[in-house]
Amino acid sequence: MFYLITFTLMYLAITIYFSYLGYRRTITVSDYLLAGRQVHPLTMGLSYGATYISTSAIIGFAGVSALYGLSLTWLSFLNIMVGVWIAFVIFGKRTRKMGKALDAHTFPELLGRRYDSRFVQGFSGLMILVFMPVYTAAVLIGIARFIEVYLNIPFSTAFLAFLLITACFVIWGGLKGVLYTSAFQGVIMIVSMMAIGITAYWLLGGVSAAHRSLDALNPFVPHALKEAGHRGFASMPGVFSPIWWYVITTMVMGVGIGVIGQPQLNVRFMTLKSDRELNRSIPFTAIFILFTTGVAFAVGALTNVYFYNMYTEMPLQAVQGNLDKIIPLYIDRFYPPWFVALFLVSLMSAAMSAASSQFHALGTSLSRDIFEQALLKGRSVAETTIVTRVGIVFSIFATLIIGLVLPESIVAVATAFFFGLCGATFIPAYLFGLYWKRGSKAAAKASILSGFFSSLAWMLLFHEQESAAFGLCGKLFNVKCLAGHPWNMIDPQIIALPISFIVFIVVSLVTRPVREETVKKAFVHI
Amino acid sequence: MMLGFSDPWIFAGFVTTILSALFCVIYGILNWNRGSTEKEGDYREEIQWEREEIELIEKLP
Repeated sequence: MFYLITFTLMYLAITIYFSYLGYRRTITVSDYLLAGRQVHPLTMGLSYGATYISTSAIIGFAGVSALYGLSLTWLSFLNIMVGVWIAFVIFGKRTRKMGKALDAHTFPELLGRRYDSRFVQGFSGLMILVFMPVYTAAVLIGIARFIEVYLNIPFSTAFLAFLLITACFVIWGGLKGVLYTSAFQGVIMIVSMMAIGITAYWLLGGVSAAHRSLDALNPFVPHALKEAGHRGFASMPGVFSPIWWYVITTMVMGVGIGVIGQPQLNVRFMTLKSDRELNRSIPFTAIFILFTTGVAFAVGALTNVYFYNMYTEMPLQAVQGNLDKIIPLYIDRFYPPWFVALFLVSLMSAAMSAASSQFHALGTSLSRDIFEQALLKGRSVAETTIVTRVGIVFSIFATLIIGLVLPESIVAVATAFFFGLCGATFIPAYLFGLYWKRGSKAAAKASILSGFFSSLAWMLLFHEQESAAFGLCGKLFNVKCLAGHPWNMIDPQIIALPISFIVFIVVSLVTRPVREETVKKAFVHI
Repeated sequence: MMLGFSDPWIFAGFVTTILSALFCVIYGILNWNRGSTEKEGDYREEIQWEREEIELIEKLP
């Protein structure tokens, strides 16, 4: 407890200091002329990484890795190639230029102004406002599970306590000047994750020996999992088996591709001053992702060796089936008390850096995208300040309720749900908005709506994980889901994203393009 | 068995993850000084953007 209180107080004091420092640096326009907002690439890299990678990866996806093994390594690959290189180079550079040219300050606003459509901005804002709290709840559940194990208190108490801390941070100015705060949080995350990665491999006799030990556990894979395609913790699942479809389409591709449509990340590109800053941030962000998700997923799988060697049981049994408790239990049992406290601080960093950017996106979605653009038709009024606050308070309550009603083993699933939904809804309109001048307003509307609704339809009627939980398909058709294997295991994004792509292209070709002056303005720097 | 893996797909995933990070590092180094001065001294648009952004931040709690 001594370590916990000391580290937490130190962490909170430094976070508040950086938050104040960051806020002070953003308050005058003249700062900008004096290069006051020139962002160091290391700061940008750490800040972007800390916003992107949250407790969801460290607790949720690492827990999934403990169950399905090292196949999640492919998600680390996509996290770097798609989440960093493609996001920065293919999307980021043009997002920055177009954002400045169109004076856009939120992701829905960029889409709305590019297509000259208040509907696009308003609907995108509404979608974020309604569904992002699911992801925020997942992030907070991640740390609450750790607190539950570490302090041995009920989950609901841990969740409420951490949500209260986050709410205080957010309400008392924590959303202003997030850049330096999240960069500091990124430093804590990378240091503790590297420490965990090195010790986990070192104690098992090195990289090769650790992987061989993992391979040796193949006979202990539960029978039901073997039947569903599990071929061991250091092997890919059997091709086209139920587990293969689940791991590849939901866990790997859901988040791996869906990251492109994440509003709280895309908005970061617009704050940069030049492509040079962006180019220079790429190496730092990539290394950050490698040492956070790469380590988390590898260690997640290796927990099997640790639990088996020590207790002759698999981690899944030790946590009574709740995947979200595997990493907390592993850290709590196999590391010294001072490190466990330090790890909790790094989870606080991971949760707060991601959650504050989400609350920022949620607040501006309601005030700027829905209230000012969709309802007031572009008028800026003094009441917007109140509406922003209402948006944030609403989001905090929505997160609270969702967090308390969601079932166990949910962190990775809820994250993949939101990433996949954003991917299918936004990626075509976003990509074509940046690259195709012919893309039309009607196409953007149709693509966004078709991506969103086909995702929901697939979830409720075909994808067994959600259709069985919601029960709509059961009520309407008297079956759990409308199609059998493999359709019941294929992630909604895999179906909905191609649909929204095709809809965009077809509708663009048969409808009037966006007004010429809007297109000219959008592409003025490109 | 390279790096202790018996499944070549896991080995490939492990190696491509590290290579993709290396690729990003090399890309960043090669483009370190590219994309610096596109504006040639005209900062009006960016000042306008910045002013709006500050207003937005002010509206946050």
